[in-house]
Amino acid sequence: MSPRTYVPAGFLVFLLVLPHLLPNPFYVHIAVMMAVFAVLGGTWNIIGGYGGQLSLGHAAFFGTGAYVSTLLVNAYGISPWITLWLGGLAALLLSVPVGIICFRLQGPYFAIASIGLAEALRLLVLHFRDITNGAQGLTVPFKGNAPWLLQFDSKFPYYYLALVMAVGVVLIVRRMERSRLGHYLVAIGQNQDAAEALGINSSRAKAKALALSAFLTGVAGVFYAQYTYVIHPDSVFGLGLSIQIALVAIVGGVGTVLGPVLGAVIMEFFIQFTQIAFAGQYPGLELMVYGGLLVAVILWRPRGVIPWFARLYEGLVARLPAARGAQA
Amino acid sequence: MTASLMLEVDGLVKRFGGVQAVLDLSFHVREGEILGVIGPNGSGKTTTFNLITGVYRPDRGRVRFAGHDITGLPPYEVCARGICRTFQIAKPFRELTVLRNVIMGTLLRHPDPAAAEARGHEILQTVGLEGRARMVAGSLTTIDQRRLEVARALGTGPRLLLLDETMAGLNPTETEEAIRLIASLRNQGLTVVVVEHVMRAIMSLSDRIVVLDQGTKIAEGQPKEISSDPRVIQAYLGVEYRRA
Amino acid sequence: MDLTTILQGLLTGILMAGIYALVAIGLTLIFGVVRIVNFAQGEFVMIGMYATYWLWKLWGIDPYLSLLITMPLLFCFGVLVQRFLFRPILHAPDLAQIFMTVGISVVLMNAALFFFTADFRSVKTAYAEWALRLGGVTVSVTRLFAFLGALLLAGLLTVFLTKTDVGKALRAVAQDREVCMLLGINPERMYLLAVGLGAALAGAAGSLIVPFFYVFPTVGVVFVLVAFVVVILGTLGSIEGALLAALIVGVAESLGILFAGADLGLVVVFAILVATLILRPSGLMGQA
Repeated sequence: MSPRTYVPAGFLVFLLVLPHLLPNPFYVHIAVMMAVFAVLGGTWNIIGGYGGQLSLGHAAFFGTGAYVSTLLVNAYGISPWITLWLGGLAALLLSVPVGIICFRLQGPYFAIASIGLAEALRLLVLHFRDITNGAQGLTVPFKGNAPWLLQFDSKFPYYYLALVMAVGVVLIVRRMERSRLGHYLVAIGQNQDAAEALGINSSRAKAKALALSAFLTGVAGVFYAQYTYVIHPDSVFGLGLSIQIALVAIVGGVGTVLGPVLGAVIMEFFIQFTQIAFAGQYPGLELMVYGGLLVAVILWRPRGVIPWFARLYEGLVARLPAARGAQA
Repeated sequence: MTASLMLEVDGLVKRFGGVQAVLDLSFHVREGEILGVIGPNGSGKTTTFNLITGVYRPDRGRVRFAGHDITGLPPYEVCARGICRTFQIAKPFRELTVLRNVIMGTLLRHPDPAAAEARGHEILQTVGLEGRARMVAGSLTTIDQRRLEVARALGTGPRLLLLDETMAGLNPTETEEAIRLIASLRNQGLTVVVVEHVMRAIMSLSDRIVVLDQGTKIAEGQPKEISSDPRVIQAYLGVEYRRA
Repeated sequence: MDLTTILQGLLTGILMAGIYALVAIGLTLIFGVVRIVNFAQGEFVMIGMYATYWLWKLWGIDPYLSLLITMPLLFCFGVLVQRFLFRPILHAPDLAQIFMTVGISVVLMNAALFFFTADFRSVKTAYAEWALRLGGVTVSVTRLFAFLGALLLAGLLTVFLTKTDVGKALRAVAQDREVCMLLGINPERMYLLAVGLGAALAGAAGSLIVPFFYVFPTVGVVFVLVAFVVVILGTLGSIEGALLAALIVGVAESLGILFAGADLGLVVVFAILVATLILRPSGLMGQA
């Protein structure tokens, strides 16, 4: 068995036992957030990296999933396992008019519209407080350990669920990359005119990418709502979140399958580190460094960390022996 | 027996701001022929291609393809219907391999990427680029880039191929190769419209020639007739044309 | 809702439009010349506001007077940004450019948060409460001054761009960089000038607005969003368009606040963006 098989396999096994290795639930929480960000960065990448359409408002889809799900759970008692898909669907439907309006245009319109979308939704949710409880946010009714309601009293099941989502997104992105849509998105990114001359409907391709991305982001939003039990307009629709999501993909590696995973790990480490180091004493410092990180990445590593990491990985794999027993 | 009309261009008019690029242009292309389109610089040849393939909408006039009106359809739709064009300034997908470039074309009729790849290899064989399948497109020589343009277009399985100055800048040997390739495409059943400045090539290739000047057709006929047509000579008067 | 209230809303909108126009003009200038979408434009306004506040707080300098300081200050800041942050990414893909400016925006916003805290600050001038009464309508003097100041600066800029050689060179670079190099115009210098001017205009907007607007770290976000809608509605790169669009957006926002609610003003602006993208994406001054 070559190291190319057993190293990733080993890593997957490591991920499976990870929660049991961690000293306390707080670290499991960090792992969960890493997985969530890996999902978000990965889905952002579908439209941002592969599709070349920069979304600065992905929180719009995240928040839509979270709010739609929580509202349905609270109002009709529908199981979150079902609203998981409904939230994703709502986000997908939201993305359709956005795509129709923006993708026939060339220019920074989608980036600007995406900010506007997330902000508009945030303000609307704040405004209609009779339905959404405004700034106080919505809570998921606490029922203790209730797996059929997507509630668990230990963090472990959340972790595994998040892990499944993260692995799922990685596989979906990889699948998409190799599909016709994936090829077409690359062609459009290289030269849209040439692509159209070859029969590629660029607007439709981008719209598909956005729909997929929005759906998955919405699902992640539902998970988040269930995990944290409470959602606020500012936390799930906020500009800060949208930027974080994009940052995960950019720092990790735009347009790659594993880049966002790396980016998520780095990002979460970074968030936790600054929170611990500054213990909330210096408001703004963390984000200031964060913004600086973004600027630095753009200036010096626009392809993200993944090429460097890929070289490291290749070097490692080359040095490892093939495992005895199963022959390649 | 008259061959059916593959393409009919009828009274096309296109203006850009103060420039009348195309004015009342009409011509037709018969199925299975090679139609040459010549004319001095600025006579509207590339604009005509752009009008046919939907890059621009004509201000007036119609374009009919195999009997269907395709005026104003977007480029990807025109391609799906069976017309594919190459660009005067080649637009390869620079960072992708030659094979992947062609696959972007073959995916149109072969949605399954594996089938698209297989078809891609076939096409590369046809144009003689198989040996460079794994090279990055941006590093190709001029003639290979032209080959790639043609290969990509062929990948979409067109019935009508529009070639825009494919032979510009080629040396005599390369030009010979290009002529043979285009002729072989016609022999396989493709209809081809060739825009060229390289007179020798277009005279030997074309079944018929259309001459444009200042956005309109000034002459049409067999190559022999055209080369002695006084209107054509006048249009080119003062313009010294060199081979490649 | 009676006529007077509506007229009042209309007037407020028009007066505010001047400020939006100023910010938008800076944005469109930067885009037109350097081809960079500056998401940090709002933060330039914010810097102008804080500078004005501190000048008043520490040395008692009147906000309108501080224009003489904040404009050059922001001009230099813009030049530095262009030289060190924009220049390396001039030919980089859109992603790099957009995220560079977003990154700058985040840094500036949070630097303000870090150094000045999230406290809302305000400047209390002697004339802060002055108002003119025309019929049933009240015109706040500070808002009027802001509007007039914005108009004046926009006018000066237009004169600069149309009547001076440097200004014409700037417009030329916006149209065609390569030709300009052949004509002996140094595009690098023009870029520095464009970003400097764009920042200076934003800073001026900040100074003009401080007499009646709270100063806080995230104040720039609202301005940049509105400015973007104005720029798109007015056509990217067109200054006249920005003026006209600012009027439309300012009035619409104001009326929206009147009819829909104070917190939905931005939603109305967003609705204008959507309508523009659907009906006339090239903007008022562009080809349909």
